[in-house]
Amino acid sequence: MGAVLILAPVIVGSWPAIAAAAVGAASALGLAVGQAARRAVREEVEQAEQNVEVEMSNSEVLAEQLATDQTMILTKGTVKITVGRDARGHCKVCASGTGHTKAELEQMARQFTEKLTQCFIYDRVIKELKSKSFQVVNEEVMQDESIRIHVRRWVD
Amino acid sequence: MAQHEVEISISKTGDVRVHVKGAKGKACTAYAKWLAEIVGKVKDQQLTSEYYEPEGRTKIDLQQDLKVDDEAS
Repeated sequence: MGAVLILAPVIVGSWPAIAAAAVGAASALGLAVGQAARRAVREEVEQAEQNVEVEMSNSEVLAEQLATDQTMILTKGTVKITVGRDARGHCKVCASGTGHTKAELEQMARQFTEKLTQCFIYDRVIKELKSKSFQVVNEEVMQDESIRIHVRRWVD
Repeated sequence: MAQHEVEISISKTGDVRVHVKGAKGKACTAYAKWLAEIVGKVKDQQLTSEYYEPEGRTKIDLQQDLKVDDEAS
């Protein structure tokens, strides 16, 4: 008992923190992490290649932490997912590739943004809990892919 | 010593459900506020019966600028 809260995630972090979450999400979804370079993103897109962008409106990449050419490229088969920061400072995920419809690519991009959000929030929550001397009693991934964390703390 | 427990569930979309147990009154509110700041925005909040129970001599110090001392009750 006490209180029950339902919280909507907001991603505000430095590029290293977001990149770490992106690597975690990529690992969970079977994506390979490639070297990042904005010029690679600007490569001429083949005509047959589809391209879908998803902006994470609930996010903010702290600008001072992010060089203008910093992006991260993740690949799985013919699909390339690019994570970066748009002009407004929001995190942007772009899925592109051949052999997939726009709807499929959009679903992949959305699935990735959800996983990135979950990883980012998990990293942040665990870090803050440990910094306040909470002990993790139990932690498990449930069937619905949610992460359940049970922590405890003794106070005077 | 009092035991404070928090159960946190992070859904696949990143929404977070937090259940604070063992903390009463201001201590409970302090945990709720702290966790909301970490995660993002509060979509819904329910105070349970424990929240309204008489507060003990529990003191929590989550942040330098956030101190809750239940001794005042």
